[in-house]
Amino acid sequence: MSSSAMEADTSDLVCQLDNVQGIVDALSTVRWKRHQDAVVELSEHGIVLIVEETGCLQAKVYLQKELFIRYEYTAQGRPRFGLSLGLFVDCLNTFSVPGHSSTIEIRYPGPDMQLLIKSADSLDDCIYAEIRTRIPETISWDYNFEPAGSTPLSFTVKSAALKEAIDDLEWPGSSIQIILKPVPPSVTFRGEGHGDLQIDFMYYANTDLLIAFHCEHQVSYRYYSIVFNLLYQRQHSCTIKSCILFFHKHVDRYKYKFLRATTSNIPSSVTKDNRGSKLTIGRGGMLKVQHLVSVARPSTSHQHIDSAGYQQPSRIAYIEFFVKPEEDEDTVND
Amino acid sequence: MKFKAFVTENGVSLLDRRFLPALDKMGKICHLFLTREHAFFLHNLLTSPDGIQSIAQFRKQALFDDYRISSQNEDRIAFAFDISLLLRAVRSSVSIISSESGGANRLQVKLVKKLPPNSTQPMPFLTFETKGYKSAVIQDVPISKPLSRAQLLQLQAALDAAQDLPRTLVQVPDLNRLQNFVDRMKHVGDLLNVSISKYGDLHLQISTTLITLGAEFRKLLVVGDKAQAPDEDRDLSAQTRSERAILMGDAQSVQVSVRHFSKSLQCHLAKPDCAFYGIAPQGACLTVIFQFFIPGTRQTDKSISLHCRLPVLDPGSS
Repeated sequence: MSSSAMEADTSDLVCQLDNVQGIVDALSTVRWKRHQDAVVELSEHGIVLIVEETGCLQAKVYLQKELFIRYEYTAQGRPRFGLSLGLFVDCLNTFSVPGHSSTIEIRYPGPDMQLLIKSADSLDDCIYAEIRTRIPETISWDYNFEPAGSTPLSFTVKSAALKEAIDDLEWPGSSIQIILKPVPPSVTFRGEGHGDLQIDFMYYANTDLLIAFHCEHQVSYRYYSIVFNLLYQRQHSCTIKSCILFFHKHVDRYKYKFLRATTSNIPSSVTKDNRGSKLTIGRGGMLKVQHLVSVARPSTSHQHIDSAGYQQPSRIAYIEFFVKPEEDEDTVND
Repeated sequence: MKFKAFVTENGVSLLDRRFLPALDKMGKICHLFLTREHAFFLHNLLTSPDGIQSIAQFRKQALFDDYRISSQNEDRIAFAFDISLLLRAVRSSVSIISSESGGANRLQVKLVKKLPPNSTQPMPFLTFETKGYKSAVIQDVPISKPLSRAQLLQLQAALDAAQDLPRTLVQVPDLNRLQNFVDRMKHVGDLLNVSISKYGDLHLQISTTLITLGAEFRKLLVVGDKAQAPDEDRDLSAQTRSERAILMGDAQSVQVSVRHFSKSLQCHLAKPDCAFYGIAPQGACLTVIFQFFIPGTRQTDKSISLHCRLPVLDPGSS
């Protein structure tokens, strides 16, 4: 029933990739809990995997077709299917052999709408998997991200430093603010809960940590530079409250656990690569966190170094998190 | 009942660096069964029929010299002990031997009965004694009461029953790779279908309602009953191929626990030279046999043997 010749005729997608570990790393980044349903969308540009958490947090993994050594897409429209992210990652992980570049083939759909994966390295040894897919649930909330104004409000921090800062903020717990000051340019993470903890990234003092910074907000320039608040606990200090009322800004509340989800599963390969993670604050206080995960072929197998001899720049998987602010009763709709 | 011997240098290295670490992974409690000619380390032969059985057999010369044993049960002694305690005792004896120069140290092991502190009842111990020029270190490993005659006969019967060989055995090409694969597979499901064919195919598969994950290794070396794979098999999927082989009576399939299978692979810590998997007649168990070569040769070292028997969860098809 599963003769490969037959499947080729009916598959929407047949693709091959030679760095399974890179894809496992990319997908693991958005795996913030054990049981997670994901929606996968296929297109001529690549594969997008979307996971979300009850209308508060959404993450997308973009696997562009350039990451694959073969990408044959023949479907009309954009096929979508649902599957368990944990199972998908655990399954892909079995195809990854440490210190060994393994090539796999992914095919969709199988005879029973399964996602089919098989190793394509050797004729005598074969690993194969069939993952049952589901009809995808509709995405409950549209995460259209729009810039807050004419100039973007964003900064880029080394991924490892961002992860460390957010991990440290676990101690004060629930109430987290991100404060951007244009003069002097700096980003402050402030946690208020069981105690206070403030982590400052000064742009000029820590150029190795805070790589880029865009904040030209007039309001923030005039008064304490509080542009953006991540507040979870109801009890915030009077100063902050008054300043918020003064500017009629949104008091954007985020749960620490959602902020943490954006960095908690960054694979060690990303922190080792020491790339930057970009944080952008959009309209309505929506926070976008972007990470880059290398899906380059591991250079450990020295026998076959590419003629180029360096990491292929296009072989990067893009990860985006969207964290929605919580509604707040203090908000004055402007 | 007396047992006294010196552990040879080779014996110390076999136990310390290879066998005890491997057996430690099989389970905490192990039986040591000593006869006039052999020493056996046995797991789960008497105690738990649901657990993985492992049988490590050494000819006395492989581990000991000046080996003296006597008992009323035809000079056979068996007792249970905590393998991690034995490993600790051997490890620290090794460090004492290597730290004292001169090479005059020998590690003596003997069975003793001692009065432990705060107790009025003497208890059995396996004592390790290292004597150097300057010092002597004695380590007592607590052991169970030696097995009674009836228990001993029961253990001997279980041991004899565990020696039956599968008709077809296939050689596993790369234990580390297989272990790596099975360890990752563990996250996907609990039950592993293993099928072994006379063509030299080993097929592992986990199948749940949400996922089927499998691995097929083909053209492996076959020991015992073998057959030529049909030509039309070539273009089939692994699943179809093994189903057909089972229908034709050229393959057997059993279901075992992934955890047990992974444990059996831990035996690679004993640094075997190769490993064979086979299914016992009537699908009674999945057997893995580890082979050891005489160092520097391709000849089997008959003084050492290790094999495991994995309980079958579902008799499967035979």
